[in-house]
Amino acid sequence: MSPILTTMFLGLLLGLLAGAIMQRSDFCMTAAFRDLFLFRSTTLLAALLVLVTISAVFFELVRNLAGTDSFALSVLGVPSLVTVLGGGLFGMGMVLAGSCVVGTLYRLGSGSRLALWAVIGIILGSALYAEIHPFWSTLKQLTSFGPQAVTLPQWSGLSPWFFVLALVVVTGLLILWRPQAFAPLPGWREVKGYIPPLYAASALAGVGTLSVILFGRSLGVTTSYTKVAAHLEQLLIPGHLAATAFFQMQKPVIFPFVPEPLTVGPGPTFDGIVVMQYPLIVGIILGSALSAWQLGEWRWSAAANWRQTSSVLVGGVLMGLASRMATGCNIQHLWGGLPIFSVQSLLFLAGILPGAWLGGRLLVRWVLLEKC
Amino acid sequence: MDKVRIEELNVYGQVCPSTLLLALREVNRLQDELHRGEVQLDIRTDNRYATATIPNAVRNMGFDAKVRKEEAGYLIQVCAARS
Repeated sequence: MSPILTTMFLGLLLGLLAGAIMQRSDFCMTAAFRDLFLFRSTTLLAALLVLVTISAVFFELVRNLAGTDSFALSVLGVPSLVTVLGGGLFGMGMVLAGSCVVGTLYRLGSGSRLALWAVIGIILGSALYAEIHPFWSTLKQLTSFGPQAVTLPQWSGLSPWFFVLALVVVTGLLILWRPQAFAPLPGWREVKGYIPPLYAASALAGVGTLSVILFGRSLGVTTSYTKVAAHLEQLLIPGHLAATAFFQMQKPVIFPFVPEPLTVGPGPTFDGIVVMQYPLIVGIILGSALSAWQLGEWRWSAAANWRQTSSVLVGGVLMGLASRMATGCNIQHLWGGLPIFSVQSLLFLAGILPGAWLGGRLLVRWVLLEKC
Repeated sequence: MDKVRIEELNVYGQVCPSTLLLALREVNRLQDELHRGEVQLDIRTDNRYATATIPNAVRNMGFDAKVRKEEAGYLIQVCAARS
């Protein structure tokens, strides 16, 4: 088998694994932020902190063993202040949609009909971004921190291990101080096949590490939606597609186990994004579906009312738009960027918190509290 | 002994966090009768996460909860805590 096909096959396995874990645990990164504000619940945020801490240790180990540079630049880009806005819009979008971009994939796999509307929204939002790309890149450049500030270690000149150890100490102290915040909710064994968030977080940090070994970068899926939008434009409005600068962009990429150099870009071509993200997406949907089927709970969910359906669609559009504005979705930033102390990801985090709060207010006020 | 009345709440296929919000609203509405053991609330959902959050939330409010797998999803039964 050619190295590209092997890489794609291994990517599919990673997706299957991630999809099954997220379905079993219902490891929802939207709930993590939303429920902090709506229910004062920190269960999933605590799990996220553990995921980031374990990933930080493993990513840095892999980087040291492989002898590579920090992989933040190629993926997350030079930090700029407007990423806070992208993060905010994303946070609002994911709460309105009921799950984030990766969340919709595992929910879709387990039969959620609403998730399908979110997927349509994300594709629309990605197409929308292509239209505002020139304006947004100018804003990004105007508020840029400069290429010396991609990660905290790089910016400060301190060793990455300094930050990794600091994070390990902080997380460790929090676990000692508030062990019940990290423990599974009582009664979790009542549901067959349930994986408590903390265990899921550890397993997903493992999947992320395998992704870093396989692709030289952490898990990501959103550029694929832009590609789907590009394919649709190619069918419907090919002249417009050719005239849109955003879709012509291509950057070189090197995967550790693929000898030939590839490129990645949002245009409708076979490139590194197809190699890396398509199998992952298919894997997450399939892994979740198989897991749900094995537990005897796979079925198409009932249709929701129009209010909820439109909220999910609008949330999807916001997520598609925002993940391009912020050069990545929450999974890329929180699971991939925070463990390497990417400044861009910290800015995203600064935005997603108020965004999720606002999304929660809108959801409760306008979408849910109607008689169902 | 008086018969326990069963109130039903079906939350299928809805956007998160409807399940928990609606469940808490029902629990609040029925809380006096639930405490006295006159009512049991049966919540039916296809949301796996709710099978962890609802029992946790109602236990913190002083009730008892049981989760059971059903054909179409999960049944979460909320009743008075046994002392």
